[in-house]
Amino acid sequence: MCICILYLNVLSRISGSQATEVKVSEVEFNPNFVSRMIPKLEWSALVQAADGLGHLQDLPTELIADYEANEDFLRKVHRVLLEVEVLEGCLQCPESGREFPITRGVPNMLLNEEEA
Amino acid sequence: MEPCLENVKAIRRSKEEKKLLRKQIKASHTLLKHEGISTVSKPTKDYIISLQSLVVANGGLGNGVSREQLQVVLGEGGDVETLIMHPHKPYALVTYRTEVSAQRGHVLLNGRQLQCGDQVVTLYLSYVDTVDSESGVCAVLPPGLVLVEEFVSLEEEALLLDAIDWKSHDEEVTVQKALKHRRVKHYGYEFRYDNNNVDKDKPLPGGLPQACVFVLERCVRDRHVKVMPDQLTVNQYQAGQGIPPHVDTHSAFEEPILSLSLGAKTVMDFRHPDGRSVAVVLPGRSLLVMKGESRYLWTHGITPRKFDVVPACDPESPVAVTSDFSNHSNLTLSRRGTRTSLTFRNVRRTPCDCAHPSACDSQQAPPSPPSLPRSQTDACRLEAEYVHSVYEEIAGHFSSTRHSPWPRVCHFLSSLEPGSIVADVGCGNGKYLGVNPEVFAMGCDRSCALVQICSERGFQAFVSDALSVPLRSDICDACISIAVIHHLSTQERRQAAVEELVRLLRPGGRALIYVWALEQEYNKQRSKYLKETREQAPPDDHNQETRDSPVKLSVHTNRTAFNSQDLLVPWHLKDGGIKKGGRVSKMTKDPPIDTKSPVLAPCPVFHRFYHVFQQGELEELCARITGVMVQCSYHDQGNWCVILEKTRDR
Repeated sequence: MCICILYLNVLSRISGSQATEVKVSEVEFNPNFVSRMIPKLEWSALVQAADGLGHLQDLPTELIADYEANEDFLRKVHRVLLEVEVLEGCLQCPESGREFPITRGVPNMLLNEEEA
Repeated sequence: MEPCLENVKAIRRSKEEKKLLRKQIKASHTLLKHEGISTVSKPTKDYIISLQSLVVANGGLGNGVSREQLQVVLGEGGDVETLIMHPHKPYALVTYRTEVSAQRGHVLLNGRQLQCGDQVVTLYLSYVDTVDSESGVCAVLPPGLVLVEEFVSLEEEALLLDAIDWKSHDEEVTVQKALKHRRVKHYGYEFRYDNNNVDKDKPLPGGLPQACVFVLERCVRDRHVKVMPDQLTVNQYQAGQGIPPHVDTHSAFEEPILSLSLGAKTVMDFRHPDGRSVAVVLPGRSLLVMKGESRYLWTHGITPRKFDVVPACDPESPVAVTSDFSNHSNLTLSRRGTRTSLTFRNVRRTPCDCAHPSACDSQQAPPSPPSLPRSQTDACRLEAEYVHSVYEEIAGHFSSTRHSPWPRVCHFLSSLEPGSIVADVGCGNGKYLGVNPEVFAMGCDRSCALVQICSERGFQAFVSDALSVPLRSDICDACISIAVIHHLSTQERRQAAVEELVRLLRPGGRALIYVWALEQEYNKQRSKYLKETREQAPPDDHNQETRDSPVKLSVHTNRTAFNSQDLLVPWHLKDGGIKKGGRVSKMTKDPPIDTKSPVLAPCPVFHRFYHVFQQGELEELCARITGVMVQCSYHDQGNWCVILEKTRDR
């Protein structure tokens, strides 16, 4: 499950994802695609999670202006968004503390009957 | 001095003999206590015992004695016919070809010491008892079970076998089938394998064969049964054939059940629900009387195989050496021959009131078929059983049948702008997630097994409920929901699912929804088509609410027209892939496992809940939701489809 999912997720304000297994793979870079994704993301949350996973590297903590034209920047975003994958770990809701497991790359976001 | 010496020698020998005897007795006791093998120190005519079979205490693989070594040693007595050595037992069972060899072996080897590796082992040999009804070799017989040996004479056996007419049976059954499955014939009343009961109102003409009357009279005379049985089932087993474990249907027959074995002997296995198991040798010409627990609670069956492990030595038994042990301590191999059983039963006219309700169909209410839910809780429960758990079980097989994306769905996806974010809610095996590589597609499904398949294919997917998707609002450029919403069991839940899709969409975003159509045969001749559907029109949800009693869900027959909107659709699981503890629907028409019919293992059937949509129903549902506009609707591949748009001003 790539970080993309996290940041589209209602739990996007997660305080930290406890990942025990993270994988980095190579994904074809598509600048248009990344540009279009950026406005949909909560930048601070992305930075926070990337940092929590130990993959912040040189990703800027603030979104820069005119990022569409900045290939270098887009590549950094691309790496974090699409190439870093959480295989084992869990997502935690900062409000309730409820944890959702990620197993073999698949997050299980089911709520129990009482919680729904 | 010599006589004195001789006396001394004699005394010493007898002391040694006594010591040997003591040790041998101790070994025998151990065998009896731990292994259930009862032995006699020397053959006597009071017992029906095998004069050629011996147990070799301490001569086992379990205590380090090798087969090769033991074989050599035993060979000193004579030709060994069979040598059974269980991997973990501290004894062996040997059958010599002749009584003389057995005696020689016994004399020579009783007390013999063997060097096995770095230890010395002392062998004690004893003759072994056979099984008879009173003193079973192994465990105690199930309560209520009685075995009467030599119930009919050899001549009587021949007469009975002659009296059974298989000819009319064989005309119906092909030779090939007859080879695979045991032959069965009924007299008195037909036993039905679809419901494991007899047709009590339709007795078969001719009644029971005249040739059997003397058997029945003997049973009554000997007090095995009070009333003459009125039903007979004849089973003929070739070597390698058997019958699966089962309890004879309580409501069909009384007790006792009498079974006369003709021809070759066999081993019948009795099993208690708690796991205990007893193997009973049924010799030819013996009568088995099943009463009480043995009739009502323990299952009985015959394992399909060509050899049994039995204690009595059979001169015909082949030279076969095996270390295979059944869960009973029998001793030698006996090749199966053709066995014919005559099972006499009394048809029951009143409901069964036995002391074993757990196994009783009269006392157990049959599982009630599900009905249309009338509350959220009922709906969740119905869907959990008839949708979610089913997809978990069938995921592998299901995925293999879902490989061709539908063209019009592909068209919808391909027409999206590059970089679009698309959610496939109810993505199944991810069939659509890779259709357009220019968009970012995420799938979610209720089934962990199916989502795992998506992940293995490299797609982004997570497990969630369609009514509660953990994505932020207004985030998706497009959503698809292909063959999903028809699994929701109330109108409110179906609407909630569409509302959830709308929530995910950004203003101006579009959703594509496919649901199964009630009207499968859609053609352009509208008037005729509409007329047909009107005739078949089932009560819609509005009428549903005014009924007092819940509507039972019927099971649909695949590949036929739907005759109801809410139904259970069977899925026949192929290629295994079933997880342990899988829940197979009880509503299947396939015969259950406890049947006497010669049927191959049935293919497990699962039932899935569907609400199939009428024409216009999906549009009507969307019209109830504010802030959406139906862009178009159409019929495709037996589905009703809509494309709706989230309007920009809400």
